[in-house]
Amino acid sequence: MSAVPAQGYLILALILFCIGLFGALTKRNTIIVLISIELMLNAVNLNLVAFSKYGIHPNITGQVFSLFSITIAAAEAAVGIAILLALYRNRRSVQINEMDTLKH
Amino acid sequence: MISFAWLIPLFPLISFMVLILSGKKLKNASGYLAILLTGISFLLTIGVLLDLRTITEFEVIWPWLTVGEIEFQAGALINPLNGLMLFVVSFVSLLIHIYSLGYMGEDDRKSSYFAYLSLFTFAMLGLVMSPNLLQFYMFWELVGLGSFLLIGFYLYKESAKKAARKAFIMTRIGDAGLLIGLILLFWQTKTLSFLEIFQAIEQQKLAPGMITLIAILLFIGAVGKSGQFPLHTWLPDAMEGPTPVSALIHAATMVAAGVYLVAATYPLFLASEWALIIVSVIGAFTAIFAATIGLVQDDLKRVLAYSTVSQLGYMMLALGAGGYVAGVFHLTTHAFFKALLFLAAGSVIFALKNQHIKQIAGSGKHLAVTKWTFLIGTLAISGFPLLSGSFSKEAIFAALLEDGQYGLLAVALFTAFLTSVYMFRLYFLVFHGKGEDKPERTVPLCMNGPMVILAVFAVIAGFFGSQLADWLAGGQGSFAVLHHSPTWLIFLATLVSLGGIVLAYYIYLRKQINQEEWKETFSSTYTILYNKYFIDEFYENTILYSTRAISYLIFYIEKYVVETAMAFVSGTIKAIGTRGSRLQTGQVQTYGTVALLGLAAIVLFFVVKGGYM
Amino acid sequence: MGLLSLLLFSPMIGLLLISILTKNSDHKSIHRYAVLGGIIPLVISWVAYIQFQGHNQLAERVSWFSYQGGQQSFVIDYELALNGFRLALILLTTLIVMLAILASVKQITKNPRLFYQWLFVLELGILGVFASDNMFLFFFFFELTLIPMFFLIGKWGHVEREEAAYKYVIYNGLGSAVLLIAIVAVFAQAGTTNFEAVQAYMAQRDDMAFQVGVLIAFLVAFGVKLPIIPLHSWMVSVHVYAPPAVVMIHAGVLLKIGAYGLLQFGSGMFPDAFPVFAVTIAVLGLINLLYGAFLALIQDDLRKVFAYASVSHMGIILLGIAGMNTAGYQGAIFQTISHGLISALLFYLVGILILRTGTTNLKKLGGMWTAAPVLSGLFLTGALAGLGLPGMSGFVSEFMAFVGVFEQLPLFGAVGVIGIILTVVYFLRAILNMTFGDPRKNKYEKMADIGKGELFPAGVLVAFIILIGVYPDSLSQLLQITLETLVTGMGG
Repeated sequence: MSAVPAQGYLILALILFCIGLFGALTKRNTIIVLISIELMLNAVNLNLVAFSKYGIHPNITGQVFSLFSITIAAAEAAVGIAILLALYRNRRSVQINEMDTLKH
Repeated sequence: MISFAWLIPLFPLISFMVLILSGKKLKNASGYLAILLTGISFLLTIGVLLDLRTITEFEVIWPWLTVGEIEFQAGALINPLNGLMLFVVSFVSLLIHIYSLGYMGEDDRKSSYFAYLSLFTFAMLGLVMSPNLLQFYMFWELVGLGSFLLIGFYLYKESAKKAARKAFIMTRIGDAGLLIGLILLFWQTKTLSFLEIFQAIEQQKLAPGMITLIAILLFIGAVGKSGQFPLHTWLPDAMEGPTPVSALIHAATMVAAGVYLVAATYPLFLASEWALIIVSVIGAFTAIFAATIGLVQDDLKRVLAYSTVSQLGYMMLALGAGGYVAGVFHLTTHAFFKALLFLAAGSVIFALKNQHIKQIAGSGKHLAVTKWTFLIGTLAISGFPLLSGSFSKEAIFAALLEDGQYGLLAVALFTAFLTSVYMFRLYFLVFHGKGEDKPERTVPLCMNGPMVILAVFAVIAGFFGSQLADWLAGGQGSFAVLHHSPTWLIFLATLVSLGGIVLAYYIYLRKQINQEEWKETFSSTYTILYNKYFIDEFYENTILYSTRAISYLIFYIEKYVVETAMAFVSGTIKAIGTRGSRLQTGQVQTYGTVALLGLAAIVLFFVVKGGYM
Repeated sequence: MGLLSLLLFSPMIGLLLISILTKNSDHKSIHRYAVLGGIIPLVISWVAYIQFQGHNQLAERVSWFSYQGGQQSFVIDYELALNGFRLALILLTTLIVMLAILASVKQITKNPRLFYQWLFVLELGILGVFASDNMFLFFFFFELTLIPMFFLIGKWGHVEREEAAYKYVIYNGLGSAVLLIAIVAVFAQAGTTNFEAVQAYMAQRDDMAFQVGVLIAFLVAFGVKLPIIPLHSWMVSVHVYAPPAVVMIHAGVLLKIGAYGLLQFGSGMFPDAFPVFAVTIAVLGLINLLYGAFLALIQDDLRKVFAYASVSHMGIILLGIAGMNTAGYQGAIFQTISHGLISALLFYLVGILILRTGTTNLKKLGGMWTAAPVLSGLFLTGALAGLGLPGMSGFVSEFMAFVGVFEQLPLFGAVGVIGIILTVVYFLRAILNMTFGDPRKNKYEKMADIGKGELFPAGVLVAFIILIGVYPDSLSQLLQITLETLVTGMGG
């Protein structure tokens, strides 16, 4: 089994991150925005794992960090969806461009 | 006693403070308190004068204000001139305090009146014993304050308000000159002490041009205070104040302060020929100018006011011609007889409640004491032989003759003639004639007493001319000489004085010369004189008008330039604010995008530059 | 904690006292606590005065932060220090704030709790400005004074109060921006913001262009505060629309930051370059003096008359500074203190007048003397002090400022002296029209005279005005060492 070079992981992570970023910044549906954020987090996880294997000083810290961030991502998704539900109950909408209360 | 001289002004000050803080409660006692404290000052002055026979100069100074290495001082300087002034001021002031007891007896604001009078006395006493020009200037302004408050004493009268304001402003114009002069002098000599300034002049530390400039600036101050042309217009208006005030401030003491200023800084004037010429010319012009106005005025006090202006002009004329003693001598005699005239006029007004001489029309004859004392005063001021005025005037003529100022001598003689004409016009119109009005009140003793005392002084003061010269020479040295006239000049002066009296007699008493005809023949002259040469109107239309014009010009600059600029600045900033707030849409995605772009820009910058800086 | 820090933060005690009270507590107790809170800094400042008299010095320093940049180290410490001038200003501040609180007791009826909270923050800021010994702290506290004033004007003022508050904050904000740029420029060069250290640094560096540039920035920044024409219109609207109690502090102390800054930052730090500006400052001073005077002459609103009078009086400060010598500086400092006292007095009286009549329009007032003799007398006293009557503080300061400016620039001095004639004209016009005249013209004939309790603040101010006027050495002794450093720094 031939080893996939580090660049491969990084490029994949880059692509994933960019897709996530694009989604987070442009999509109108809040669910999709949340999913896109998950995508970005996973891209970071991928990076962390890749560097823990191919970094200048390979060690286990990267993998530990990725576990942390997966946990946090789960918690964040839970909180995010909870907020979303609360918003939906109030406004009957999940369209992100209708939410501009930050203006005030 | 002389070492306590600095206490003299403090008693009136105490009186002022007590009366201003608790005068309302004291009611009638306020007058007695003021008299008591002024009396103490007077007694102390007598004590100082007795000491002055042996000690010719006494100075006490304390540090007052430290400015780096410069120290300004306060204190007291007693020399013969100052001693004489102290006597005149405290004596006349005491008499007028007593007189006021009767004159102001029924006024509600009596305690304020006595408070102001005490304040004035304090300031005037402080003025005449100042050891340096700074302290002099300070008291100079304070006497102005006292004068201002007392002119405006009947504060419910619009005319009193205007007169008070006018007096303050006109004298302040002169004061500005004085202030400039004294600051210039300070930078030239590094001192303001009279004695040190005289030393500096003696050692010729000052350039002649500078001396002339400074002397003229100081003289401008004197012009303002002493009502000399062209700053004289406030003095006649100042007659709005109570009559005792006119007697004290606007006849005997404060207005003479200008003359005193010139006398106190006399070495400075002596060092500059031009300054002396200006002093004498202004003095002579004022003397004749005011006398002509006095000829036609119908208000009892205004005639006296113009006569005061004219007599002050005399004093200036004397000083300008080198007649130091003559000027001071006339100042002293004038203080007595003019205060007397005003007090007598005051009792006429007090008794008849009228001060228009044509309406009084001789009613004054019902007041015997007033009539005789007024006559004495009139004779004295007209230069009737053997009364005080004749001696001091004769000294002035002699000084002019000595100085070779024949033109000015002629002016002075003619003014003397006019003086006796208008003074006897006043006397005849007020005290001789039909006299239909009976006095509404009798004049009390506390008013008659001071008048009689002053009358005595107005008679005898003239005999002390040579003693005065010796007295002044003790302190001042070479220039304190009393000039004596040749016989022909004495004869001429007497003739002029008597001529005026006779003329007035024929016009106003015997009515053999019809004044109405004269009025018609010289109607334009009469109009000009009656309206005081239209000087007030001239100022109104030039200086006041242009000041107001400048004000409005600046007002429009303020309104249209500055305010517009301000509106522009605040408008721009508000506009930036409104525009800026529109960027805040509340859309998280927009914020994210901007943040991303910002990050990209920073990264790009780093990549291109290869590191920061 | 040293005495200075204690003094600096003592207004916080008042702030806390007020904050403890609930919103609904009655106004009387709020006022009472506020008075208590005002007394504390007053007492501490006098303690500081007594301490200071012993050794002519009072300073505190705590290291705050420093960093290395290139070859230079950059240090900013928390340093407080007093000299005679600053101490005098601090005494003035605590006194006037105290009196302003006393004035507010009757004048502020709307939410007094919040009012006093802002007032104490303002006092803290002002004390900080005068106590700090480096530019950084100075700037910090300088900015701190902006915010409370904004609310005090905007919330408790009259008629166009909000407009006035905006003008205030915009102009001063711009001034602060310029000030900040200048401070940063100096800091980047010198590595320190301590006044003395900067002065020492500038003395060994012979870089006139830089110093002149920085000084221009300072002149603009403090010119807004002083204010120098044409940067003055914000100050006029504050005078007119802010509540009189706040104007007491504003005209009495806040404007003085401008004069203080010019002396401390200009002459204190750039003694070599500062004299370059002598003529400029003299010209600006004359313009202020005359411009303000001419405008005061025709105003119909008493508060505007006093506002333009302030502009005019600031001209005298500038003239004194332009003298660039001991007499001139001392005149400027005296005028700073004296004008603080006088304008506090005048606006205290304005506050009382507004309570009685509800107006300061001169056309509606007249013949007040018969109804309210004591109030009228006090107004006249204030006006006389303002027009520089000897025996009151205004004269001493004017005299010294003119003596100062006459040494080098006699012509400017002469024109200035003529300018003070106008001072008499506009003060007397305003005050006499209001107080003298026919009592029948007084529409408020039943107005009450000043009350016994109200008399106290006015009495205190008059007493200080007369004390300085009669015995100026009481103040000048305090200033001599400060002046020496200001003047000898000038290569003198």
